[in-house]
Amino acid sequence: MRTLVAVLICVAAGAAIPAQSKSISITNCRAPKSPSGAGDIAVALDKLRSLLNDRQRATLDRPLTDAAAIQWSNLPIGVVPRDGLRLGDLDAKQTQAAHDVFKAALSACGSLMLTQVRAADDYLVPFDKRPIGWHGGNYYLSVLGDSSTKGPWILQLGGHHLAYNFTFNGREAGATPMFLGSEPIRFEVQGGMVEPLQAQSEAMSRVATAIAPEAKARLSGTFTDVVKGVVVTMVPNSLPTGGTDTGFPHSYPTGDTDRGIRVSTLSPEQRELVRAAIATYTQLPDTAISGALQAMYLAPEALDQTFVGFAGSPDLGTMGSYVRIDGPRVWIELVVQRAIALPDQLHYHSLWRDKQSDYGGEVRR
Amino acid sequence: MRTALTVCLGLLAGTACAHPAPNSTLRLEFRADAVHAEYWVPVSELAFARAADPAGEEFPAYLLRHFAAETPDGKAWRVSVDRVRAADYLDHAFVVAEIRLTPPAGATPREFVLVDDTVTHEVRNHVLYVVARHGNQADMLGALQYPAKRLAVAAAR
Repeated sequence: MRTLVAVLICVAAGAAIPAQSKSISITNCRAPKSPSGAGDIAVALDKLRSLLNDRQRATLDRPLTDAAAIQWSNLPIGVVPRDGLRLGDLDAKQTQAAHDVFKAALSACGSLMLTQVRAADDYLVPFDKRPIGWHGGNYYLSVLGDSSTKGPWILQLGGHHLAYNFTFNGREAGATPMFLGSEPIRFEVQGGMVEPLQAQSEAMSRVATAIAPEAKARLSGTFTDVVKGVVVTMVPNSLPTGGTDTGFPHSYPTGDTDRGIRVSTLSPEQRELVRAAIATYTQLPDTAISGALQAMYLAPEALDQTFVGFAGSPDLGTMGSYVRIDGPRVWIELVVQRAIALPDQLHYHSLWRDKQSDYGGEVRR
Repeated sequence: MRTALTVCLGLLAGTACAHPAPNSTLRLEFRADAVHAEYWVPVSELAFARAADPAGEEFPAYLLRHFAAETPDGKAWRVSVDRVRAADYLDHAFVVAEIRLTPPAGATPREFVLVDDTVTHEVRNHVLYVVARHGNQADMLGALQYPAKRLAVAAAR
C-alpha cells in the first residue's frame, strides 16, 4: 500500500492532469509525450523480460487465443482469476520496467487511471475479510502473441476494476474493450481525495445534464450494470462460470428507437460536451493506439450519427444512473451501482467498446 | 477458474460474490411428454421489473404474463406454475418457480421457442441463461437479453 501510494502521488504529480473545472475543452492527456507505437512498447517489454525469471516470462508471454483475449473481467481475482504477470509480485527494478511499459502504452491520464484504480483496491483491503482479492497488487500484465514480430499481438493489462486490451498489428487498430471501475467512487489517501473516474463521470454527467430536458434522451428501463459487459452465468447448485467477455461479439441497437437523442440535433455547445466525454476514454491509451479511433469517432459525420442517452439522475448521484454514447462504432457506457464492500456507498462501472475493432478484429468467435 | 469460483460459493456468504447484478437461469429437464423447468429469478432484479409493471398480482400470474412457450410454427404450449419457493444462491436471494411446459398434441417436447421478458422487459443489462439439466450437469442452450424475447430451444442430448 505504501509503495502504491508513493507511486500514486508521483504519477499524479507528473501526469499534468488539469484540475477539474467547468471547462468543457478536451483534456490533453498526451502532451508532452510523443506517440510510442508498437515498436517502442515492444522495446519496453523486452527490457522488462530481461529482468524476469523463466517462470515470470512464461506468465507474461502467452499465445494469442480467443480464450486468452476475452479473459478480462470486472470481478475481483477471487471470483475470476487472471493470468499474466502479477504486478504485486515484481521487485523494484521489475516494477520500474513495468511502469516503462505502461508509460509507452498509455497517456499520462491512462497511467494515472491505472494507478488510482489500483489504489482503490488497496483502499478495500481492510474490508476483504474472506478474502476475494481486493488488492492493488492483483493487477496483471500479459502479452498475447509475439510482440517481436509483425503479427498481431495484444497487450492485456488489468485486474478487478480495470481492463486495458490494446491490439497491435491486428486487422484493425484495437484499443478496446476497455473497462474502468471504482469502488469507492472517491476515497482519501494520506489526506488527499482520489477519484479515479472523475474525468469520465463528470464528462458523462455533463452530457446527461445537457440533454435531460429532451424527453427522447431518457432511455427506457433500469440499469444495474453496464449492458455490454462481462456476465457471470449462475447455474444453481453448480459453480458459476464466465465472468469474462464470453458474450463477445455483441449485438448493438439499431434504428432510432430507445437509443437516446441524435448528436446531430444538439447545439454546438452540447456537441462539444459529447466530444469531450468520448475523449476522456479515447485519450487513455497512447496516441499511436487510439488516436485514429478518436479522430474517427469525433469526425462530424460520425458524431452526427451518434446517439446519447441517460437513465436515472443526470448528476450520477443515485444508484442506477446511467449514461451512454452509442455511435456508428463507439460504445461508451457508465453506470452507478451499489458498492459491495461499503454497501451504503456507490461505485462506478464503465465500458468503452468499438463495435468493429474490439481486440483489433483478431477474436472471431 | 473452478478453484476460485469455489471460493465464491464457499467463502463468500455475505457480499453477493462481488457482483451486484445477478442474472436469471431457466433450468430445463426434458422428459418424455413435457419439459420441467426451474426458473431462478434474482429478487433484486425482479423488484425493478415488477415495479415497472405494477399489476399487483401474485408472482405466478405475473410470470405467466411474461413467460410462454410455443412450437417453432407458433402453436402455444401449455404452461403452468406448480410451485414457487425462495432460495439463496451466491449470496443473492432468488425466487424459484417450478414450471411445467406441455407441448400441444403431436408436437415434440424436445424443441420449442421460449418467449420471455420476466425481468428483461425492464432491466437492460439482465441476462436469462437457459440450460438443460442432466443430473448434476448443465448444458448451456442460449441466453436472452433486452430487446430479445424469443429463443429457440432444443434438447442437446
